[in-house]
Amino acid sequence: MRDRARTVVNNMKWIAGLALIVALNMPLVNISTVQSPVGNSLPANSVYHLQVSVEDQFGEITGLDRYRGKPVLITMFYASCPHVCPMLISTIKLTESKLSAEERAGLRVLTISIDPERDTPEKLRETLERHSIDASRWSMVRSQPGDLRTIAGVFNVRYKQLPDGEFNHTTRIILLDHEGTQVASTEQLGRHDAAFLEAIKSRLN
Amino acid sequence: MLFAACQPQPTGSGKANQTDTGGSAAGDLGLPQGDPILAVLTSAPDVPPPVRRDYAAKVIVDMEVRELDMEISEGVTYTFWTFGGTVPGSFIRVRQGDTVEFHLKNHPDSKMPHNIDLHAVTGPGGGATSSFTAPGHEAVFSFKALNQGLFVYHCATAPVGMHVANGMYGLILVEPPQGLPPVDKEFYVMQGEFYTVGKYREKGHQPFDMQKAIEENATYVLFNGSEGAMVGENAIKAKVGDSVRLFVGNGGPNLVSSFHVIGEIFDKVFYEGGSRYQENVQTTLVPAGGSAMTEFLVEVPGTLIIVDHSIFRAFNKGALGMLKVDGDENLLVYSGKEVDNVYLGDKVMAEDLSIISDVTQAEITGSATKEQKVSAGRVLYNGTCSVCHQQNGEGLEGVFPPLAHSDYLAADSRRAIEVVLNGLAGPVTVNGKTYNSVMPPMSQLNDDEIANILTFALNSWGNEADAVRSGDVAEVRAATERPEGAAH
Amino acid sequence: MRIFGGVFTALALLAGFAQHSEAGDFVHIPGGEFKSVIPEAEGDNLVAVADFLVYETPVTNAEFLRFVLHRPEWQRGKAVSLFIDDQYLSTWAGPISLGPQSGPQQPVTQVSWFAANAYCEWQSARLPSWYEWEYIAAANDNTADARAFPEWRQDILSWYSQVGGDPIVDVRSSPANYYQVFDTHGLIWEWVDDFNAFLVNGDNREQGGADQLQFCGAGAITMEEKENYAVLMRVAMLSALEARYTTRNLGFRCARQGENSSE
Repeated sequence: MRDRARTVVNNMKWIAGLALIVALNMPLVNISTVQSPVGNSLPANSVYHLQVSVEDQFGEITGLDRYRGKPVLITMFYASCPHVCPMLISTIKLTESKLSAEERAGLRVLTISIDPERDTPEKLRETLERHSIDASRWSMVRSQPGDLRTIAGVFNVRYKQLPDGEFNHTTRIILLDHEGTQVASTEQLGRHDAAFLEAIKSRLN
Repeated sequence: MLFAACQPQPTGSGKANQTDTGGSAAGDLGLPQGDPILAVLTSAPDVPPPVRRDYAAKVIVDMEVRELDMEISEGVTYTFWTFGGTVPGSFIRVRQGDTVEFHLKNHPDSKMPHNIDLHAVTGPGGGATSSFTAPGHEAVFSFKALNQGLFVYHCATAPVGMHVANGMYGLILVEPPQGLPPVDKEFYVMQGEFYTVGKYREKGHQPFDMQKAIEENATYVLFNGSEGAMVGENAIKAKVGDSVRLFVGNGGPNLVSSFHVIGEIFDKVFYEGGSRYQENVQTTLVPAGGSAMTEFLVEVPGTLIIVDHSIFRAFNKGALGMLKVDGDENLLVYSGKEVDNVYLGDKVMAEDLSIISDVTQAEITGSATKEQKVSAGRVLYNGTCSVCHQQNGEGLEGVFPPLAHSDYLAADSRRAIEVVLNGLAGPVTVNGKTYNSVMPPMSQLNDDEIANILTFALNSWGNEADAVRSGDVAEVRAATERPEGAAH
Repeated sequence: MRIFGGVFTALALLAGFAQHSEAGDFVHIPGGEFKSVIPEAEGDNLVAVADFLVYETPVTNAEFLRFVLHRPEWQRGKAVSLFIDDQYLSTWAGPISLGPQSGPQQPVTQVSWFAANAYCEWQSARLPSWYEWEYIAAANDNTADARAFPEWRQDILSWYSQVGGDPIVDVRSSPANYYQVFDTHGLIWEWVDDFNAFLVNGDNREQGGADQLQFCGAGAITMEEKENYAVLMRVAMLSALEARYTTRNLGFRCARQGENSSE
C-alpha cells in the first residue's frame, strides 16, 4: 500500500514538474523547425522528417515531401553549372529511358539547387525547357535561406561556393522510396548504373 | 613452381631469359567460389597458416583500428595508432585471385579518422578512398587480389606521415595460386622508426615530434613496434635443421632498411617482396613502404641477431632482434664458443637483471658492496662495452684502447665517468700507444649502471681501485654538458 | 525516483542558469584577413573574416540538457535516426539526466551536426563557419596568429598523442587564447556550419588533379600549408563525417553575426 502511495506521489511530482517546465518554456524566436511533430507515422530515417520548404520552377512553395507516395530520384545541382550538372540530368534521363512507359509514369524526380540565390524560378524553368524535361513528373526547386546545408547534410552531398560564383560539389543521384527513405544511390555519370536501375524498378513494381 | 619460376639465366650477355608470372592478368580468376572465408589474422611475429586452396574464394577481413598507449621501450610509453591493436598491424594472408571483403572498424575511443591503403589493391588509393572511417564507424569495400607478392598496407589519412609514424602499417601476403614451398618456420618482422619529443629512452610518455619526422631524425628504429619485441624471452625460435622464412616489411615512414641476420646468409631473397629471388645474400634492402621475403636454413645452435645494418640504428636506436636456434652443435660448421649478449647494445638478458636490481636496491640503502657492484657491472659491461673493448678488456689493436692495466683509466676515475657520459674523440695515449677513434656517449645509461660498469672495469683484469658511487656519476652528469644528440 | 531526480536537476538548472545568449557568454571577434589552409580558389588562400560573435567555450552538457528539455524531439530515444546515429548522447545516464559520466561543465559530445545546428538555432545563433573557427583557433594565449610557432603545433600534436578514451575534462580547464576564447584546442573536435564543404578526397594524398566528374566545378581544392598538420587533421576529421554522425570527442560551439556586420 505504501509503495503505491509513493508511486502516486512521485507521479504527481513528475506531472507537476512537467507542468512547471511547460510554464517556464522560453519564448521562441522564429526559427525553422527541422523536426516533424512527435507521433508522425513516417519511418525513422525518412527524409520527410525534414520540415523545410522548397520553391519550384513555377514559384510554388511546398514541403520536401511533395512527391511522397511515389519513388523519387533526388539530386543536387545548380543551373549555371557548366559540365557536370548537364551530365547529371542526362544520366537521369538515360536511366529513365531504361524503364517502361508505365514504370516511368510512377517515378518522380526532384532536383534541388545548391545556388538558391541565382536559381530563381525563372532560371529553373529555363533549365527545364532547355533539357526538354516533363514538368509533370520532374520538379526543379530551390531551398529557403538557411536550409541548404541541412538539406545537403541529409542527402550527404558536399558543396562549396567559390569566389567566382561557381561551386564544387559531389554528384549523387539518390532513390527515395514512397515514404522518403533513401534506399539506393549512385555516383556514376554518363551511363546508367545497373544496380541502381534494379533498385528503381523494384520500387516501381 | 611458378613462384620460383625461371630465373634469369647466367648468360654471358647478362640478358634475362625469363617467363613471367602473368602479372595482374593472372589474378583474374573469375567470381569467388564456395562459402566466404573469415581471414585468420595474426600479430607479429606469428604468421597465419598457408592458404592451401585451389580455387578463388571470397575472404572477409575484419580489421579494427585502435589508438593505444603502449610501451615503446622500458619505462617509455607512446600513443600508437594501430591496425588490430599491435604495431605492426595484423598479418593478412590470401591467395591470388581471391576477392577480399575488407571491413575497417574505427574504435569509438579513437580521436582520429582512419583509412587503409593496401599495396595489394588495384584501385583508387589502394582502398583509401573507400575506407575513410570516422571514430565509432565502419567502412566496407571489396577488391580482388590480382597480383601475387608480399605487400605493405598502411593508413593514408592526412597527414599520412604522422599516421604511419604512429605505427599504422602491416603486411598482406598474396600467395601465388600454387602456394609457397613449405618451410618449417615462418615469421613476420616489420621495421619502422619512431620520432619522439624526448631523447632515446628518455622515460615517461613521449609525444610524436613532427619536426624530427620531417627531418628524418629518428629517435627509435625498431622491429615489431617496441625495443623488447624480439629480444630475450620474445626472441623468435627455431631448431637446428629448420628451414626458416622471414616475411620482412618496412613501414618507414622514412628510412630504408639494410636487413641482415648476423651469423646467417639468406639462401634466397625475394627482393622487394616480388616473384624473383636472389641467392646467397648477406644484407638486403627493404624500402620504406616495401618488403622482402628471405629464406635460409639454420645449421648451428645459438642466437642469431637480426639488425638493420645501418649499424647505429641497431646499437643506439633499438633496431635489434633475436632468432634463437636450439639443438645440437655442429662443430664442423661453427666451432667457436657461442656467447649470448654480444650484440645487445645496451639491452641485457632478462635472467641477468636480478643481479642489477639487487645492487640498485642496495645502493639506495647504502649497503652495496664492491663485489656486488663488480658483479652487476660485469653483466652490464658484457652487454654494452665489450663490443669494442672486448670481454677481456684488451680492446682492439690500433683501434680501441685497452682497459686492462690501463694507465689512462687508473689515473683519474672522475675523467673516466666523463668519458662514459660524454664520449671521447681525438687522440688519446694509453699504455704508451696512441688511439684516435670515436667513443660515442653512453649517457642513456643511468647513474647506477655507469657506476657499476666503472667499478667492474676498475677492478678487473689486474686493475684495482675504489668503487665508483652513483652519486659521483650524478655529480659529473650535472656538471658537464652532453654532446648534441646524446641522451641527457 | 530516478526520473524525478532528473526532472529536479533540470528544474534547478532552469532556475539557476541565466539564458546563454547573454553578452558575457559570447565573445566579440574583430574580423580580419588571414591565410587559410583551405583556400577559396586554387593558390589564393587569403581569406577575409567579418566581425562575429562566438561562444567563449564549447556548449556544455548542462546547456544541452536545458535544450533537450525545451525541445523534447531532440531527446535521446525521440530524435529520429535521420538526424542522429545510435550513439547520440550515449554518455548520458538517461534521455534527460546526465549521470556521473557526464559532468555538467564538460563539453557535450556524441551530438550530430543536425543536433548542434538545432541547438544554435534555438539560441538565435548558428554554427561558426570553418573560416571563423580556423581564425580563432590560430591564436595562442598571447598572439592572434601563432600557427607558425613550432610550440603551437607541437602543443596540438600532443593532444593527438593521448588516447581518446580518457574522460573529457571541463571547459575552461586551459587558459583562454588571445581572443579570450577557451578550448579551441586540446579538448574536443568541433562541428562547423560548412563541415561538408570539404571536398577532401578520402585518400588524403590526392590533392589537386581532381576527378572532374566527382568534384564538379573547379575541381577539389588543394590544401595549402601541408606542414600545418595540426589544422589539417581537423580538416581530415570533418571530411570523414556525415551530418548525422556523433563521436565521443566531437562537440560544438555557436556563433552569431557581429553588430557591425550585415544580417
